[in-house]
Amino acid sequence: MVFAVSLYLDYANAKQESRVREDGSRGLVTAAQVAADGGGYAGLLAWVREQDAEQLIPLLLLDRDGRDVLGREVPLRVLARLQRHQQALREGQERRTPLLTLADGRQLWLMLDFQGASLSRLVSRPKVIALQLVLATLIGGAVCFLLAWYLISPIERLRKAAALYGAGDFRHRVGPSLGGRRDEIVDLAFAMDSMAGRIDKLIRSQHTLLRDVSHELRSPLARAQAAVGVARQQAGEVATPEFDRIEGEMDRLNELIGQILSYYRLDAGQRPGQEEPEAFRLDELMADVVEESRPLAAEKGCEIAWESPPPPAPVAGHEALVYSALTNVMQNAIRYSPAGGRIEVGLAAAGEAVWEMRISDAGPGVEPALLERIFEPFVRADASRAKNTGGFGLGLAIAKRAMEHHGGTIAARNREGGGLTLVMDLPAGSRPRE
Amino acid sequence: MPRLLLADDDLDFCALLERYFRTEGFAVELAHDGDQALAAALAGDFDLIVLDIMMPGMSGLEVLRRLRPLRRTPVLMLTALGDDADSLRGFEEGADDYLGKPCNLKVLLARIRALLRRSEAVGAAGQDDRSQLRVGDLTMNVHSLSVKRLESSIDLTSTEFAILEALLRSAGQVVSKSELSEKALRRPLGRFDRSLDVHIGRLRQKIGPLPDGGERIKTVRGVGYQYVTE
Repeated sequence: MVFAVSLYLDYANAKQESRVREDGSRGLVTAAQVAADGGGYAGLLAWVREQDAEQLIPLLLLDRDGRDVLGREVPLRVLARLQRHQQALREGQERRTPLLTLADGRQLWLMLDFQGASLSRLVSRPKVIALQLVLATLIGGAVCFLLAWYLISPIERLRKAAALYGAGDFRHRVGPSLGGRRDEIVDLAFAMDSMAGRIDKLIRSQHTLLRDVSHELRSPLARAQAAVGVARQQAGEVATPEFDRIEGEMDRLNELIGQILSYYRLDAGQRPGQEEPEAFRLDELMADVVEESRPLAAEKGCEIAWESPPPPAPVAGHEALVYSALTNVMQNAIRYSPAGGRIEVGLAAAGEAVWEMRISDAGPGVEPALLERIFEPFVRADASRAKNTGGFGLGLAIAKRAMEHHGGTIAARNREGGGLTLVMDLPAGSRPRE
Repeated sequence: MPRLLLADDDLDFCALLERYFRTEGFAVELAHDGDQALAAALAGDFDLIVLDIMMPGMSGLEVLRRLRPLRRTPVLMLTALGDDADSLRGFEEGADDYLGKPCNLKVLLARIRALLRRSEAVGAAGQDDRSQLRVGDLTMNVHSLSVKRLESSIDLTSTEFAILEALLRSAGQVVSKSELSEKALRRPLGRFDRSLDVHIGRLRQKIGPLPDGGERIKTVRGVGYQYVTE
């Protein structure tokens, strides 16, 4: 910016200088002569003062001894020029001399001190370059803005892409959006694109593998289960506990496959059921889940109770997904509750158009370091104990995905005095994530 | 001997099922793709059809869509495990029940027996003097399995019919979900089982609102359902 302005100043200076040099012996001298003829010596002095106040280049009016009529200091270089003029005049060589002749016959030399154009003179005469300064500022500003935009806009694109990658969307590409540009930023963009492509491929292949394996496990499992059914039928009462065991383990396998598939379906951004959000009452859905969970809770001697009667909570979203989130969290709470424990359920408004659902158990809680990780697939609060509780470590992961589809959140925190509280925030007018 | 049509493209699975159900006293016929299944269902007089959704050619859903206008034979859909969307679509096409596959054969047998008991019960009610049920503008003839609103008849599946019947017999009162499951689905209410709610939703669409615009079947959350009398 400063550079641009100083460039322009130099240019303006040079322009004025050349004009004055050219006019110096004609226009200025003529004008001065006119002022002197009209107003005499006083008029000439006034004219010189006026010029000095307006012009960037000092205008000196010298007598033949080189003294300025206004008493200003005369630089040696001007005196030298004066002597050259006088010399030339004496020798009759100069056709045009900056020489004024007053009515009383006094002769005065009009000299421009080109090198006397200083920054302080400029500052005290802003009119000289006011217009140029404004123009320079505007043009310089525009140039700077364009330059900054040119540099920053691709970086902004990179930042957005990085944010998307952070959120798990590795399909986004930056390079093609930068057009025909060729510089280090573009190289960076393409490097980032290829990195994202590689990560995307890895994640996809991992997902596809698990999903395909799960799909393919179904058919043999269905046949095995049918075979066990037939074997049990043929065997009568023989080996009943063993058949029960085989069927029980197969049911567990079934359930695991089902959970893996529903988790990856959610993960892949596919929603079961309707595509459009539907209106439903969250309080009623929670009441349903509570009622449906009572038999399972009763088996463990647990009771489920509302913290307080739920308020009417109309929301728009995917009821089936919210239902699966609530059901998974509730099953988890029952699973980790001790016999005779109490499970508390709560629903309350949490800020503008957000509903907070809470399900608290009386279980052992979770190590603080694991509070966030329990929402990752197959991460369990306690690896040794979970074997007996029947979970796979997918329920909370499914719940998290289901909440995220609504732009909601899920978090776990230990309760004072033992137990774990799962808090789910659901926007009332939730839109499915793109 | 109840006649059963098993439609599934997995030959080994079919063979096992056939053996199992024969031993349980069923007459079993097999079909291995959609076209075969539809042809068999239309040709034979089956008491029940077990229909796998994923079949080559015509899918189970398509078979059901084409079968329903012609036959009311109870249909149990076998859906891919964990695919709730498929089971919901099954209900929309008029399935009477569904079961995720792989499934426990005892559970499958129990579901089939429940469906058979229900269609027998509905059929036998004809001799009963309560065969005609009238609540408000709705008339149900248990003998002819028909439901009319004023003079226009409503087409219901046997499961929807059984649910509506149970609700109409207790019109004005709340029928609990477990009672409704026992009476209409002929099985105890399962944990986290939403099929009753899906049936009710479907039923509401078919019978429409009351003349005053209100909902005919009211949900009493945490308890059950109620047919509203004017």
